[in-house]
Amino acid sequence: MGPLYPQELLNPEYNLLIGAIIGVGFGFLLEASGFTNTRKLAGIFYGYDATVIKVFFTAALTGLIGLFIMHNMGIIDVTLTFYPKTFWIPTLIGGAIMGLGFVIGGFCPGTSLSAAATGKVDAMAFITGVLLGIFGFIFTYQTAWEALRKSGKMGKVDIAQWIGIKEGLFIFLFTIIAILTFIVFQKWQDKWKSKMSKQDIDELGI
Amino acid sequence: MKRREVIILGLLLMGSIIAIFLPDIKPLQHIIGPTQLLKEVNKEGRYISTDDIAKMIMEKDPSLLLIDVRSPKEYKKYTLEGAINIPIDKIMDKANKDYFDQDVYTTVLFSNGSSLADQAWLRLRSYDYKGNKVMKGGLNEWYKTILNPQKPADDILTAKLEKQYLFRKGAQIYFTGATPVAGATAKKSKPAATGKPIVKHKKKEVTGGCG
Repeated sequence: MGPLYPQELLNPEYNLLIGAIIGVGFGFLLEASGFTNTRKLAGIFYGYDATVIKVFFTAALTGLIGLFIMHNMGIIDVTLTFYPKTFWIPTLIGGAIMGLGFVIGGFCPGTSLSAAATGKVDAMAFITGVLLGIFGFIFTYQTAWEALRKSGKMGKVDIAQWIGIKEGLFIFLFTIIAILTFIVFQKWQDKWKSKMSKQDIDELGI
Repeated sequence: MKRREVIILGLLLMGSIIAIFLPDIKPLQHIIGPTQLLKEVNKEGRYISTDDIAKMIMEKDPSLLLIDVRSPKEYKKYTLEGAINIPIDKIMDKANKDYFDQDVYTTVLFSNGSSLADQAWLRLRSYDYKGNKVMKGGLNEWYKTILNPQKPADDILTAKLEKQYLFRKGAQIYFTGATPVAGATAKKSKPAATGKPIVKHKKKEVTGGCG
């Protein structure tokens, strides 16, 4: 049946409309779960809040397992969905820059938009920075970045095939890794919180 | 960890255990992109002529599978010998998949003209079903060339055209029971597989476009 749009079962206008509705829901839930609070997001780096890693892993696993099972039930054809080619060198560098931006600014691009919508000035400053980065990259791309952008080309990589194991087994191993990460970060968080005074915790607003 | 988190992790773990027993991901259905489809639409190879069909029917070619994509009403009025009726809106039904997604038979789609059968072909081809062909010109052409062949004018009559005409004349005898003419290449064996006389259709019906 799905995905609807690549099979032209959905026209572009409805596609945008559904995108907008999902976007509103996503923003709403980000705000509702406290993700527009910079201290909550940065907490993962300092150890006093593991929410980010929990949410990201849970989302990734739900998507991964859900899509895999639904594909096997014939509900959605995963091969028709889009995923980009891998260029490992720029991805590694970009990931490091993004992580640095995350811990310094306290936002990721998505949460900064939600936070700006709630009127946080620091989020607006963050978005300005994001835009400066984007436009700065675009205008200097050919002179400065093109070689880096195209380095480490690997094509479309299916990680399970790349390692040489069954996809289902990879999903299982990934779930185990995620659960272990969950437990480790939870322990780390509990240790930190036990050391923090109530006043500190209140001040962080988490 | 909170109880809620343990439940969520438990569910995910269960899902991942199910995943171990599932096969790797393969495309559920091949879909041909518009560019390739357009290329194939323009190829003549997807057509089969009425002469070839007539020959295959008369020779009782077991690999021929005729599919009438018109409505059941039209199918009842007149169709080709041995043809089965799968109206165009039923063509993608799961029950009919085996007719089109196979490489044993030469599946030939036909309608009154070519357009309806062409549409059906396009739908099937976009799902990467191979080996389906369209009867060129449809039943209108069938009528013109097989059931009622006209002798080419003498000034353009080449050996090839004459041979073709004589074949068609023979086919006409086979399919309609018309009076033999001298030199006809096929002899009348029996009117149709069912043994029933073929219902002579009115010309108006077959020339009515592609329905």
